[in-house]
Order: sequence, then C-alpha cells, then structure tokens
Amino acid sequence: MAGGGDGGGDIPHGCLMMPRMTEDPIAPLLVRVAAQDRAAFRDLYRATASKLMGVLLRILAERAEAEDALQELFIRVWLRAGRYDSDRGRGMTWLIALARNLAIDRIRARRETTSDDKSMEAVADTAPRAETRMVAMGEARRVSDCFATLEPAQAEAVQGAYLAGLSYVDLAARHGVPLNTMRTWLRRSLVKLKECLER
Amino acid sequence: MIDIPLPPEDEEDTLAAEYVLGVLDLADRTAAEARAKAEPAFAARIAAWEQNFAELNEGYADAPAPNLLPQIEARLFPQTARPQFNWFRLFRAAGLLAALLLALALVMPRNAPDFVARLATKDATLAYEARFDDGRLTVTRVAGGSAESGRVHQLWIIAPGEAPISLGLLAGTDLTLDYPLPPPGWLLAVSVEPEGGSPSGLPTGPVILSAQVGA
Repeated sequence: MAGGGDGGGDIPHGCLMMPRMTEDPIAPLLVRVAAQDRAAFRDLYRATASKLMGVLLRILAERAEAEDALQELFIRVWLRAGRYDSDRGRGMTWLIALARNLAIDRIRARRETTSDDKSMEAVADTAPRAETRMVAMGEARRVSDCFATLEPAQAEAVQGAYLAGLSYVDLAARHGVPLNTMRTWLRRSLVKLKECLER
Repeated sequence: MIDIPLPPEDEEDTLAAEYVLGVLDLADRTAAEARAKAEPAFAARIAAWEQNFAELNEGYADAPAPNLLPQIEARLFPQTARPQFNWFRLFRAAGLLAALLLALALVMPRNAPDFVARLATKDATLAYEARFDDGRLTVTRVAGGSAESGRVHQLWIIAPGEAPISLGLLAGTDLTLDYPLPPPGWLLAVSVEPEGGSPSGLPTGPVILSAQVGA
C-alpha cells in the first residue's frame, strides 16, 4: 500500500533499502484513523495497546501513570494520525516514537518541575516536510551491525538509555562518572554509530 | 553545554540523536523540539534517527493494557459526536445544563472547587471561567457573547511543549466534561473556529484567550 512513487528510485544509498511496507498491518489503520474512522481507531487500540503499554511502563515505571499516559497517547494518535506517512516507516515505529516522546517528556517534567511559556508554540503545525522521507528511507545499514562497532559498555549505555528513557543525569549516576564525562562518552558513541551508518 | 567540538553538521546530527535517545534534560529537550518545528532539516535528522533506532523497539516487552477506550473516547468526543449536525440541540442542551447547574449551585451547600481560572481579554469584554472540581471541568462564559455567526469558540488544553487537544465547542454559555485537574504548566485556550469546530483537530483561527491551569 506504500506507493511512494515520488523519487523512490533517487535515493542515494539505496542498496540495502528498507523493504516496502507491505506487511505492516498498522499503517492502513493509521491512514483510516487520519480520516476520522472511529472503528479503525478501536481496532488500532486493540492491536497496539499492549506493546505501547510496554513502552510507557518501561519508561515511566508506574502502572497508574503509564495508564494515564496511554490515554493521552491515543488522544494524540487520533489528532496526529494525519502526519503519519507509510513511506517513511512502519506504523508501529511511528506509534512507539510518539509513546517514547510522551513518556520521556513526562519524566523530564516530573524531575525538574519548571514552568515554561513555550506551550503556545505548539499551536503551529509541526507536520514534517517531504524531504524528511528521503533521509529516513536513505538509512540503509542496520543499526545492530553498527552497535557491534562500539565498545560493549558503550553499546549497552546507548541501548539502555533508549529503552528506559534515561537522561544524562541518570546515566552518569548509574555509571558513577561525572555528568560531562558521561555526555562526552555517549556523544562519541553516537558519532561513531553515525559514521558506521553512513559507510 | 557542548563538550566535544564537532563539525557543525555532526553537532546538529548528534543533537538529533540525543533527542531521539531521550538523554537530554528538559531545557535542552524543549529547545530541540522547538528547533524541529522551525527547521525541517533538523526534523528530518530526528526522523532518520527514529528509523535508525527502530530496531531497538524489539527490546520492549508487551504489557497487559486495560481497555481505556471508553475514557479516551469520552475525552476526544465530549458531549456530542458531531456538533455540526445537532448544533441547536447542543445549544439548547448546554442552556438547560447551565440552568440545571445554576439551580444546583443555589440549592446545594458549596464546596470550594479544586481550581478556578479566568480566561479574559485585556479589556474583559469577553471572559470565561474554568472550574476544575472533582474530576469535572466546567467552562462558563461570564462576560461577552458567543462567536460571530458562522464561527464558534473552541476550547483547547495544552500540555507543556505539546500540541493542543480540543476539549469541545463553547457554543452555549457553558461546557462541562470529565477532565481531571492537570499538573502545573498546562494551558487552557480558546480559539475562534469555523462553525462545527476546527476541521484539522488543531486550532486554525486566532487564539483569543488563554490561562495557565493546574496544581
């Protein structure tokens, strides 16, 4: 269903391109939700709630908060499904990115209660542009191959941070190193990962 | 903030990776989100890293999720399914509800609500009062009139750094829905939308009123 006729053949490093999203049952549901289809919304909930609950629970750690976040997540899914583009990735990847962002925003806000006046900026439409697609589809090399180029401890830190939504502060405490050391160390890992992904 | 000097392009890409990884503190994270909204190229880098890291999603185990659809749908579709079709019924119902609430308010002993915010224009010619009480939110117009013909006031709630979520249309003088008192830093806002409400799910018209809520 992912037609993607616009420039699919022009992707520069296309040798190991992601397979076409023909086996993604979530993508068509998201397309229908974007068209305000409430039955599809219910189907989507039934198909994805337990995976997304797993994501939220891993990051937020408390079930009551994770359940609250799950409600908020699906409210966002209803409102933002129109921004999903099946040419740019799998439906579940998009949903998990939304879930992680929601959960990470919550724990960051929880730990450093600050007021901000930036909320109204959110009024602006944030739909990504077409060029986003090219970059996303151009990423050829699998990240797992590239994790192998990192020191095991580095790879573990990156993966652990991703899955649990740990901040630099959390990571520094966990590894018993100063914050700046942790940041430098992790940024080097990310640069290394990127170099590998671009090779 | 920057510890290792990197070429500007690597710097930007590493920041995108840090954002996707989730390691940034609140201030840096908020700044990165704002930048993604302003710069499509930076948003593209974020999207690319989301795909790069997508494989790690296999590390998330499923967890049993209760059926929260009734609560979700109650928040998404408050009061009425399709306001554009039963506009006048909604208006009448809201009026009736207002009268009922007023009668109740006069009869019952009053407990202080959990939180009250006032959304008013500078000259106070238009004002709504938002009252969070025991899991209910009631928004009442206390000054001024409804939107001009063919337009409607729409109520939004905005979590810090997030897109607004519609709470419904302020067609009559009153809107009541199940909504818990949010944490501090959230905003209530009113925008002017075409009759029937914003077609896009986000404010399309001017935001005329807003107030901080939460405790």
